[in-house]
Amino acid sequence: MSEITLGARRPVIVRRRRWRIPGAAIPYLFLAPATLWYAAFLVYPMLQSLYVSFFDWDGLSPSMTFVGLENYINIFAVDDVARLALWNNILWTLGALVLPTLFGLLLALALNRRAPASTLFRTIFYSPAVLPLVAVGLIWAWMYNPHFGVVNVTLKAVGLRSWANGWLSDYTMALPATFVTFIWSHVGFPMIFYLAGLQAISKEYYEAATIDGANAFQRFRHVTMPGLAETHVIVLSLAVINGFKVFDLVYTMTYGGPGRSTQVLGTWMYFQTFQYYHAGYGSALAWVIAAIVLVIAIPYIRRMSRG
Amino acid sequence: MRGLRIFAATALAGLVAFSAGAEAKDTLRLMTVFDAPTVKLWEPVLAAYNAANPDIEVKMETVAGSGAAVYPDVLRTSMASGDPPDVFFMWGGEIAGPFIKAGQVEPLDAYYEKYGWDKVVAPWTIDRITRDGHKYGVPFHARGMGLWYRVDLFEKYGLSEPKTYADLANICATFKKDGIYCASFGGKFGWQTMRLLDYFTETTCGPEEHDKLNTLQSSWNQPCVVAAYDRMAQWVKDGWLVPDFLNVAPNDARMAVYSGDAAMVFEGGWFEGVLKSDEQPMENFKFFLPPTDHTPVRYSAFPEQWMIPTSSKHKDQAAAFINWMTIPDTQKQYPEAFTASATIGVESDCTVAPRDCEWKKLLTSDSATYPPTDQAFTKELIDGFFEVQDGVVAGKIAPADAAAQMQAKAEAWKAKQKS
Amino acid sequence: MMSDVRRQRRLEQTVIFLGLLALSLIWLTPFATVVLSAIRGQGDLLARGVFSLPKKIAWGNFAEAWSTGDFSIYFRNSLLLIAMKVPLGIFIAALAAYPLAKLRFRFSGAIFIFFLAGLAVPVQVTLQPLLVMMKQLGIANSLFALVPPYVAFGLPFQIFVLRGFFRLIPSELLEAARLDGASEWTAFLRVMLPLSVPALATLCIIDVLATWNEFLIALVLISAKESRTVPVGLLQFQGEYSSQYTLLMAGILISIVPVIAIFIFLQRYFVAGLTAGAVKG
Repeated sequence: MSEITLGARRPVIVRRRRWRIPGAAIPYLFLAPATLWYAAFLVYPMLQSLYVSFFDWDGLSPSMTFVGLENYINIFAVDDVARLALWNNILWTLGALVLPTLFGLLLALALNRRAPASTLFRTIFYSPAVLPLVAVGLIWAWMYNPHFGVVNVTLKAVGLRSWANGWLSDYTMALPATFVTFIWSHVGFPMIFYLAGLQAISKEYYEAATIDGANAFQRFRHVTMPGLAETHVIVLSLAVINGFKVFDLVYTMTYGGPGRSTQVLGTWMYFQTFQYYHAGYGSALAWVIAAIVLVIAIPYIRRMSRG
Repeated sequence: MRGLRIFAATALAGLVAFSAGAEAKDTLRLMTVFDAPTVKLWEPVLAAYNAANPDIEVKMETVAGSGAAVYPDVLRTSMASGDPPDVFFMWGGEIAGPFIKAGQVEPLDAYYEKYGWDKVVAPWTIDRITRDGHKYGVPFHARGMGLWYRVDLFEKYGLSEPKTYADLANICATFKKDGIYCASFGGKFGWQTMRLLDYFTETTCGPEEHDKLNTLQSSWNQPCVVAAYDRMAQWVKDGWLVPDFLNVAPNDARMAVYSGDAAMVFEGGWFEGVLKSDEQPMENFKFFLPPTDHTPVRYSAFPEQWMIPTSSKHKDQAAAFINWMTIPDTQKQYPEAFTASATIGVESDCTVAPRDCEWKKLLTSDSATYPPTDQAFTKELIDGFFEVQDGVVAGKIAPADAAAQMQAKAEAWKAKQKS
Repeated sequence: MMSDVRRQRRLEQTVIFLGLLALSLIWLTPFATVVLSAIRGQGDLLARGVFSLPKKIAWGNFAEAWSTGDFSIYFRNSLLLIAMKVPLGIFIAALAAYPLAKLRFRFSGAIFIFFLAGLAVPVQVTLQPLLVMMKQLGIANSLFALVPPYVAFGLPFQIFVLRGFFRLIPSELLEAARLDGASEWTAFLRVMLPLSVPALATLCIIDVLATWNEFLIALVLISAKESRTVPVGLLQFQGEYSSQYTLLMAGILISIVPVIAIFIFLQRYFVAGLTAGAVKG
């Protein structure tokens, strides 16, 4: 398909080119729009927050007090909630690396075929992502409601009364329950990435493997998995990054409670910045989150995508 | 590249349209938390003002959302970026505190003298919005809270409104015996559970000590506070409250009462409007002020107010507009927009809104009130308070430990303020 | 022998199908709750329980949500925003991803890391500086204020993903185009982009949804009703002391229709991608 297009258009293009750009400049020209845009509207505001993180500032007053590294020191030395939040983030990230990812891969394998039902299924598994957060929060709060929620009602109906639980109101269950909602709403994400990745694997490899007598499992191990290497890097590194940045779902579903039991770094940063009027401290927390993410994700991405 | 060019062109067109709209006449930006139905009620009010004042146009911007959730965040950002409204809605007490402390709110003492607002609104609401001797806002709503109950359930079990705490405990025990929860709470955000705990503290500590606790003049680590936490623990343990409510949203807690599984909710005067919009039979709900066993019987109440940012360029017009909204003449013309008004002498129509009418009489009389703790404490401190409260409800913190932990949080917070 | 294999395959297919069916029913339960709550009266919902069947179907909720919520404004804004943001963002991301994936030049590694770092940035702390910037640009409070941050915050992710998928396209195809005299620009436009349609479609879906549902930036940067988007518009059904659940749910149902339509439409390009992959091999 593409060859034909190329052949037809080629002469026109050659004629139109009047001047030559020096070859060495070409990559930078491609990069220029994105770089400028990104530097102006993401890097610059982020650097401003870096500046603020060295100050004691309520985010409102005209004046702010320079405190050096105090905000950063306090995060690690004084703030118990930040420590709990970090632990919650680690648990969340480990879960996010395994469960939705594996689920998404399995779904993609099952749905990577041309059948009308596949389109329908894909839409269904991706569909939670279309719901606005307010709907997700509301519906799942109802489903988990200890009094009338469909989860407890179902458990009682099938004879698992002892499994009925306070869910979001329970100190130990609140975070896992929120995570179940996360799986529900995010599984479509790795799924469509794996679907796109699977389609980039040439059918000939499978045919060759079959001729060599490989069974389904061997084909999966030796053709599918290596073919998905690039997709794995994307899916897994995003799982780590978003695992440490998680904010909206936790904020909406538990508001960090009961007590502070479900605080994560993202929500704690938001509470500090917007609700406790510690903009400097909140900015420091944001930078700690960013630093953790970068320290974990970048070496992994670099190693996996070398060459 | 075509995409970019189109973007630039549309952006430019938008810019032109935007600046052209702004220059016509002075715009007074009014920022509120009103939801869609309230906005509808306010449309004629603003239209009337705009018609009477051709040189100015009041435009309402609204950030709805329950329970002070997003509104302060938006307001804060707009102020810090130098783009504040000219008049804004605010709760009382410490929710307004950070804005005042940051020097973002104009003291209105001079306007109070000019317009004589002290005579127009209920005095206790002015006390509550006064800070360091200055009046920073004009009370708009006066809100009081009590226990609302299902009349049919009370009648069925031959119960009447309690006169003492013992009566109330008796009511709950009766309901419990008959398989009905005494009350339903939504513990998410903390403030609904707090209403019950505040009431317990008022009964066990008494008015004077309660006030001192709220201003951190007394130690929280004292027997009457332990007793209040004790009552909380007991209510939960005896199954008087719908269980596992710590992360139930306050609005969802009402469902158990609507379905008849629970008998009471701790709500404010607004609950009459809620019942109407929730399509519940209004005559089946009445309220009482929970008995405190102290005189006077104080109840939880708070004002909501209008404020003017220091950086507003239209302060005089803003004050004139607030005055127009506050005076009885205006409010009487639009009774539906001004329910729960803090203005004296604007009676609500007792046939249309009988409960609002009752509240109105209470709130503009000389009845005694105490502030909900979330308006007495800053958000940072109140979240510590909620953490302890959750721990008590969940049975994770013993009442005696809870009182000690609360005092430790108060001291840590005080130390932080000094440094 | 042959029929054995076929029978086994059919059995396998059936098991997979039934598994998917069961799973998708679980997946749809929350949706069913949205629908159930959108088509009944508020009193019915609250007194008889969220998970009960409606006593009476209230179709009027949709019309009421549309009109009291002024949804037409928010709908127009959200669609306009998508039309501006998505093509622009993905195009400049693709431009940047191309050299990072396929060309050798100095600092390519460092530039890639520079973009990746953006993935780590929590958007919340940039809200205030962003609002100040939009004010200075004179577009605060208009729909255009959302385009710069939306594009900027989408770039790291999109560049990362596109770079990954571009690397899967065999370099020989580009080489062939260059030998035919095509410039790098032509190679990008006529070879790289057409071959990456599945990846671009995937990104489009994710981007449309992210744009459609973005709440925090839209909430803070825009205070005028005329410029608000759908997720912020939904706030209006949640009052200070009560929520109009049924209207909210009806509003949500209305709001997801266009996104589902876009999703189904873009799915066709997954299939188109299948054929492109076949040609390539």
